[in-house]
Amino acid sequence: MSISTTVFSEPLFNFKLSHYHRLATINRFKPNSSHSLSSTSNIINYGSSCSWTLKPPHKFLSPKFVTFATNTDTLQQIQSSDDVIFSQTHPINRIQLVEGKVFIRLDQGNDLKNSELIVGCNLPGKWILHWGVSGVDDIKSEWNQPPRDMIPPGSIPVKDHAIETPLKKSSTSPEGDTFYEVRISFKPSDEISAINFVLKDEETGASYQHKGRNFKVPLVNYLKEDANLIGPKTGFSLSQGDIGQMSNVILDSEATNDKVQDSSSESESPKKENSQVEGFNVELPLTKEVTVNNSISVSVRKCSETAKNILDLETDIPGNIFLHWGVCRDDLRSWEAPPAPHPPQTVAYKDTVLRTQLKPKGSGEGSSAQISLGEEFSGFLFLLKINENSWLNNKGIDFYVPLSTSGSLVIGNREDQSKVVKSEEAGENENSEFTNEIINEIRHLVTGISSVKRRKTKSKEAQETILQEIERLAAEAYSIFRTSVPTFSEEAIVESEVVLDSESPELPPKIMSGTGTGYEIVCQGFNWESNKSGRWYMELKEKAKELASLGFTVIWLPPPTDSVSPEGYMPRDLYNLNSRYGTIDELKDVVKEFHKVGIKVLGDAVLNHRCAEHQNKNGIWNIFGGRLNWDDRAVVADDPHFQGRGNKSSGDSFHAAPNIDHSQDFVRNDIKEWLCWLREEIGYDGWRLDFVRGFWGGYVKDYMDATKPYFSVGEYWDSLSYTYGEMDHNQDAHRQRIVDWISAAGGTAGAFDVTTKGILHSALERCEYWRLSDQQGKPPGVMGWWPSRAVTFIENHDTGSTQGHWRFPHEKEMQGYAYTLTHPGTPSVFFDHIFSHYKTEIGALLSIRKRNGINCRSTVKITKSERDVYAAIIDEKVAMKIGPGHYEPPSDSQKWKSAWDGRDYNIWELEES
Amino acid sequence: MEISVIGNSQVKFGRTDFACRELGYVILKNNCRFSKGGVCFGQNLRLKKGGGIGLKAIHAEPVREMKNKPSGSRTRSKQADGVRLFVGLPLDTVSHDCNSINHSKAIAAGLKALKLLGVEGVELPIWWGIVEKEAMGKYDWSGYLAIAEMIQKVGLKLHVSLCFHGSKKPNIPLPKWISEIGESQPSIFFTDRSGQVYKECLSLAVDNLPVLNGKTPVQVYQSFCESFKSKFSPFMKSTITGISMGLGPDGKLRYPSHHELPSNGKTQGVGEFQCYDQNMLSLLKQQAESSGNPLWGLGGPHDVPTYDQSPYSNSFFKDGGSWESSYGDFFLSWYSSQLIAHGDSLLSLASSTFGDTGISIYGKIPLMHSWYGTRSHPSELTAGFYNTANLDGYEQVAQMFAKNSCKIILPGMDLSDANQPNETHSSPELLLSQTMTTFRNHGVSISGQNSSELGVPGGFEQMKKNLSGDNVLDLFSYQRMGAYFFSPEHFPSFTELVRSLNQPKLHLDDLPTEEEEGAESAVMSQESSVSMQAA
Repeated sequence: MSISTTVFSEPLFNFKLSHYHRLATINRFKPNSSHSLSSTSNIINYGSSCSWTLKPPHKFLSPKFVTFATNTDTLQQIQSSDDVIFSQTHPINRIQLVEGKVFIRLDQGNDLKNSELIVGCNLPGKWILHWGVSGVDDIKSEWNQPPRDMIPPGSIPVKDHAIETPLKKSSTSPEGDTFYEVRISFKPSDEISAINFVLKDEETGASYQHKGRNFKVPLVNYLKEDANLIGPKTGFSLSQGDIGQMSNVILDSEATNDKVQDSSSESESPKKENSQVEGFNVELPLTKEVTVNNSISVSVRKCSETAKNILDLETDIPGNIFLHWGVCRDDLRSWEAPPAPHPPQTVAYKDTVLRTQLKPKGSGEGSSAQISLGEEFSGFLFLLKINENSWLNNKGIDFYVPLSTSGSLVIGNREDQSKVVKSEEAGENENSEFTNEIINEIRHLVTGISSVKRRKTKSKEAQETILQEIERLAAEAYSIFRTSVPTFSEEAIVESEVVLDSESPELPPKIMSGTGTGYEIVCQGFNWESNKSGRWYMELKEKAKELASLGFTVIWLPPPTDSVSPEGYMPRDLYNLNSRYGTIDELKDVVKEFHKVGIKVLGDAVLNHRCAEHQNKNGIWNIFGGRLNWDDRAVVADDPHFQGRGNKSSGDSFHAAPNIDHSQDFVRNDIKEWLCWLREEIGYDGWRLDFVRGFWGGYVKDYMDATKPYFSVGEYWDSLSYTYGEMDHNQDAHRQRIVDWISAAGGTAGAFDVTTKGILHSALERCEYWRLSDQQGKPPGVMGWWPSRAVTFIENHDTGSTQGHWRFPHEKEMQGYAYTLTHPGTPSVFFDHIFSHYKTEIGALLSIRKRNGINCRSTVKITKSERDVYAAIIDEKVAMKIGPGHYEPPSDSQKWKSAWDGRDYNIWELEES
Repeated sequence: MEISVIGNSQVKFGRTDFACRELGYVILKNNCRFSKGGVCFGQNLRLKKGGGIGLKAIHAEPVREMKNKPSGSRTRSKQADGVRLFVGLPLDTVSHDCNSINHSKAIAAGLKALKLLGVEGVELPIWWGIVEKEAMGKYDWSGYLAIAEMIQKVGLKLHVSLCFHGSKKPNIPLPKWISEIGESQPSIFFTDRSGQVYKECLSLAVDNLPVLNGKTPVQVYQSFCESFKSKFSPFMKSTITGISMGLGPDGKLRYPSHHELPSNGKTQGVGEFQCYDQNMLSLLKQQAESSGNPLWGLGGPHDVPTYDQSPYSNSFFKDGGSWESSYGDFFLSWYSSQLIAHGDSLLSLASSTFGDTGISIYGKIPLMHSWYGTRSHPSELTAGFYNTANLDGYEQVAQMFAKNSCKIILPGMDLSDANQPNETHSSPELLLSQTMTTFRNHGVSISGQNSSELGVPGGFEQMKKNLSGDNVLDLFSYQRMGAYFFSPEHFPSFTELVRSLNQPKLHLDDLPTEEEEGAESAVMSQESSVSMQAA
């Protein structure tokens, strides 16, 4: 069992007094003023990179007997003999942002002999100086090993280009703070022009750079044009991987601005003829995130005298803490406020919520509360508000403490396991509570503004108030609009998927029928001509090994049943699997072969329509044969050609054959039975579902639930929207229809991303690569909205092959694959392209995808979308561009190396460091 | 077992927060720019952390008090040289099925934000298909009354758009009973050459025919307006300061020459004439016979391109094509005069109905800017404006507006020539300047609107250009509140637009020093914590 705690708050509107003071202090910063640490507690991260990291308690603590000094006369005095029925401690790791300084001092010896560079830092941490030197001859190279006599003891060489020297605790700090420093003595020589370094914190893995580059301490004068020189005019920036957040940036930039003035007065840039730099002493502000370990412990005791439950809550989080609490009577956990007596400092916060200010403990930090509760309640729910804008809850749900006397621990466990399901509802509750809070505060704010106005204090604070308020209101309106507008409904699904995804990034991916493992690559294993030889299965079997070695994980086989048309899409007797592609035994054989090489096999299931074997009394072909001998009751009623007697169709009509009425139980049961038979008898792992426009997606969910495929994908193909002959930039309506179908199918199947194909057509054919970014700067296809369910493709047996209904722009196929094979979604590659002159290129792209772990949920950052070039960075690991225009990946901190080039496309990977 | 789950609500909050962050960031960036004086946004960043302290402490005044206070933003919007800025509310503000307010919390927050921003008011579309949904004369105004009350409470003005048309997205059809009549009498709708019927509004040819259960559409519109006037009398003049009369497709005075209203403001093809419903044809026939050319009255021109084609694909719109013949002149004059007569009857209806309230009446025309660079201006012709290289077709329209003392709303103020596709010879800027000049010459005051709710490249720059300079606009109606409007990508640009419209009142010199403010805040924060506990 584990507890995770998440905090949310409104970032822009910090009503914290301490902040004000802190900033004010910085404003009036004078040289030589205090170097002491100033701690800010309000820098909190949101979302998945949440800074409230949690550690799981390994077990329940043994029952604790804590007696509190209580000054209330409404509560029963606690007897230590009471039975402890529940006890739990939630560790809470808060991240605080601590400000400190880096000191860089260069002492040049009197006679230019014994110079010394001192780098110090007044923040606690395992500081490491990662450094190297530039030679005089190659000042561009920043990482050369220094001469041996320059290396302080205890240093570790990093390969042959840098040295890591730990900073040592030093007692030389003027204020007696903990102070770390490292001293590097050296003889000024003509061979070293600069010392370069970054400061690393081994505890957090963070590394601190200067203006996004290494610190550079010049030892000779002519290096001054570099922006990252230390000496005068310096700023400090923090690069801390993905933790870098807005608040940091703001703080940093502020602090930096103030600091610049100070330091510039301290040491002017030496402008002497002398080629040696004079000594200097520079301080740079530094912020670091420090984890503070706190905990909340809750224990429940049965009071032997009153038969009431006594709940003790205790925490060592400093400051005024408000407990928002209520009780519940059943597993639904609906909040209610219990009747009095309440602990002191309790007010009714809402109808169902009480608020109690925790009582500070006598001994130092921390506070506690004790609450007595009647027997009739089954649980205690709470949240903690630790300051004006930070709330603590339990992994997004309310803290829950079971109160029943029997088996309470077991209940506690069980509840924890079901938390994923629960969290949604509970989240809603909390959501509304939080929103109410906002609105409440807004009310105060708005009235506050008007009072300020009335006093005619045209202060900038009033002005400020208005701005803050506008922003907050706008953000609130935005959050509601975007979640309530139907077009965005799929975002909600994506969000919950994110939840699932973030659950266990390290563990092997969870397999779902909509996505497989998430790392699937599909091969469409046939074309429109494959039936011609009569032995396709056997021909394909010979290619199994090669397909596996190319990197395919899934193969889609042609429709296997007896069919009126040789290609198999006009199925007749569903249980007869002898087709133009081969016999049932050959089919089993090829499936077995693919399984042997580790490729999963999709069966092409044509469920929308079925051809009859007999005519009814009116001469209409609507009586079916074979094992599933349905009659006209299985045919939808709204297709006049086939005189069906079923219900109206739940989708579009396929006009060439009787459309099956999936709304009827007997039809669905027969289909499920058939699909299960295919799974068992043939060994199919999943489905490619033909013409799913023809019936409601909910039935697909039914079939998926019954057959539990490893992977499934539906063909929902309808026309994109064109205005006056030109394809619209915005294909949201088109992809919305596909997304709606996936939603109707409950996400149990992916769908071919027809939208992306269509947009690629226009982009490549007409050199309009700007089309590849939508209004939100995301990919414009289904892939941009619901990547994990998008099966991207550029060609299939209908669009290409010998039919060519909607052929991909000629000779631009590889640009198409450079797009789909580097982007999220599950890519599908067409057989004709694999076994063509494109084979090598496709193989190369597949291996780039594999080795960089690009999967159906990878992130895309579009870096360029212009007339003649589109470029994106995927998962921050792979950069790509298509189109004739020029693009190079950014060359700042990361080093990109070319991974593959082709005609009008390039792919780069990050260089291993 | 370690499981880390981030609940749904968190994810949402994360997003919300992120939105805030983005906004904050943008303002931060503005810091640099504001150093030259003006509003003290330069202080924003610092105060963001500390300045908020005092706010919550004081809650003596009801919200409504605000409208009498000389707040900076408020007075700005009243300045004589400023434009009154309105923001459109979502098209589906009032739900179709139950006549309640959709996402009312968001709208409530949005209204407050707009108020604080110094926006004058909001524009509210009132749909015929919602109010008079069930049966003729059976009005349900409840949802709209509720939203009007919300608007009044916040202290914003309200500009009402009476929509006698339907909308596809969101789906707001015409009243059910109208659709039922249309089933049996499709000729109440506009029809094109190929017989396609446009069901989003009634054909102007039936304006004065008793096709709606014995009443004429004009009578039905009139009853609707009267019902509106009596129901909203408490809001008239005080809150409601303007009424737009719906004049046709998308509320505009035009023919539905493009059945599918193009997305992205793109109009590629020339569109088609809409004169093929039975009543239009019979009007055309009469006109032809009285002009002595009965053969001209058998139908529209035969040599026109289809909707999405270019003018060159058939002979009518080509240079020296049929449009320049006497037949062409006959047809185009008749076609446009029908439209103007329709506009005249609806606007005179509106001004007589609302004349005694003192509220301004507005009508809207489209900005048919595609092909403006050709001599024949085919997009304007098919939409009903006989405006060509030879003739200013907006003269008569302007006269009609002037006669009814109505103001004109011109959309497309966000469109710039530079961002139009070359091949359509499109020029929104030239067309806008032509229409503005014409209307101004007739003393019709002009209001502006942007055409794309999702923003167009260079849209904000173009709007600023149109709103500043010599173009004195009566009001500007910005389209439209919704998720995109408040999104971090958009809202900061919008606030910047608002600020650019309004000269700042406060100067740094007027402001108290840091120390005073700090002390004040500290005191207030004490009160604040007390009041929080008591809340």
